[in-house]
Amino acid sequence: MMADPRFDPGFEKDGVFILPDRWKIDYQCASGELSKFYKELKENARLMGTKCPSCGITYFWPRSWCHRCYEDCEWVEMSGKGVVPMFTRVEISLNDLQTEVPYIQGGVLLDGAAYPAISFIRGEFSEMENGMRVRAEFLPAEERTGRIRDFFFVPDK
Amino acid sequence: MNRVAVVGVGNTAFAARHADKTFPRLAYESVKAALEDAGAQKEDVESAVYAIYNDFFEHCAMPELHIHYLLGIARKPSVRITCGGATGGYAMRAAFAEVASGMHDVVMVVGVEKVGDMNTFDMIKSITYAGDPFFESQLGGSAAGSYSAPIRFHMERYGTTEEDIARVVVKNKGNARNNPDAQSPMEITVEDVMKSPMIIYPLKILDHCLSSEGAATVILASEEAAKRFKKPVWITGVGASTESGRQAERDDVGDSLFPAVKAAADRAYAMAGIKDPTEALQVAEVYDSFSGVEICLYEEFGFCPRGEGLRFLTDGGAAMGGSLPVNPSGGLIGGEHAIGATGVYQVAEVVRQIRGEAGARQVPDVKRGLTQSMGGARGAYSVSLVLEG
Repeated sequence: MMADPRFDPGFEKDGVFILPDRWKIDYQCASGELSKFYKELKENARLMGTKCPSCGITYFWPRSWCHRCYEDCEWVEMSGKGVVPMFTRVEISLNDLQTEVPYIQGGVLLDGAAYPAISFIRGEFSEMENGMRVRAEFLPAEERTGRIRDFFFVPDK
Repeated sequence: MNRVAVVGVGNTAFAARHADKTFPRLAYESVKAALEDAGAQKEDVESAVYAIYNDFFEHCAMPELHIHYLLGIARKPSVRITCGGATGGYAMRAAFAEVASGMHDVVMVVGVEKVGDMNTFDMIKSITYAGDPFFESQLGGSAAGSYSAPIRFHMERYGTTEEDIARVVVKNKGNARNNPDAQSPMEITVEDVMKSPMIIYPLKILDHCLSSEGAATVILASEEAAKRFKKPVWITGVGASTESGRQAERDDVGDSLFPAVKAAADRAYAMAGIKDPTEALQVAEVYDSFSGVEICLYEEFGFCPRGEGLRFLTDGGAAMGGSLPVNPSGGLIGGEHAIGATGVYQVAEVVRQIRGEAGARQVPDVKRGLTQSMGGARGAYSVSLVLEG
């Protein structure tokens, strides 16, 4: 159990009295109508998108309704292959979800999808170029948690 | 719609931390300065709009509530706006609407931000809590990540280099030397920027905006009420635009790198009757959240043709003494970025330019100026205002 700063003594610094504090909030986030995406990712290593039955546009990340047509979408499985229109390399960890740096992130436009989705890309930064083709790889089943950190993209040569 | 005037402006100095002042105190000091500037009393204020970005920064989920009463205006209406980096811009718009509609005659916009009570790592993390909660936030990214993409597109399309974007830092930190309230006045070179640590390619630490504490207040009045106060500066254009909060999800972008910015600016220009912004405007205070962003913005605002933002910078058009100086205050890189206060402070700065009260950073003969603030992943929110003497 980490020390709780809310009970730490206050102290004076440069003429100002400092009171340590912390906000700590835990959640059990209900994924609602998006549940199938996370379940398929965790249990079957599948990337699920959605398709509008009216205009035919495929969304990945999935959405349950089409913002153009106001119709409910249908689930479709994505191939996991696509192109990288843009990428960058993160040199310094700015978030405690990411402790291993540097890492590459980029937008991945999955085949058939309307928009790029931000994801991790594993590859040699100097050998990457915009428009390169990539394919999804998944963490082993025992390591998958149902979050989008469960997969990453590698060059599809 | 009734005419709306800015009749008073005030702000604190900006610093990474004002440990000697709480956020209500920062707000109070800017309000007191703005009331004095207007020649107004707190009793004149009919309604207040608070621009406060992030509850984590203030360490309070309703920070505005704990300011309003202490400003001595209890039982008058208040509302808080929070729209990321566009918080101040959207707060200006909300207050404008209260006056333009005839609902109130005198409304004040109070922008304030506290941030130094958190460590920098937690500050950056708390900003990512504004990201798409269903997918993107699970990666653990940062605002810089979302802004690096359009900069990279500019580099790819137009041959802009890392050294080129560093010129914005040299300009804006240099401009800040003329602003006594600025946080980071510096005389630096492109080489200094290039040598600073890389955070997210192509952005080094010196390419980043500041993280500031401070406050700014602007007092708005109807045409009739404005007669009681100082010489008015008119808000003649207000444009706002909001789109997807995800980093790469944009519809119908054409060749725009920040389509929400263009939509908001075009809307403000149309309202102000501006056809050619290079002719109509003499100064602009805009959202240089990251160095290369400012180069992209010149093009979205129509300060130069598409693809010529870098030339506009290198030819000196955006510099002090140029055809349309951008960020004489130092902007977010040299001046301040107390996030909720920024869009309000930009208005205060352009008002001073129009009044001829901008001291060493005064641009000659300013008749009309533009402000612009944006927020959300990759500029998902943008608000622009046109101010006229």
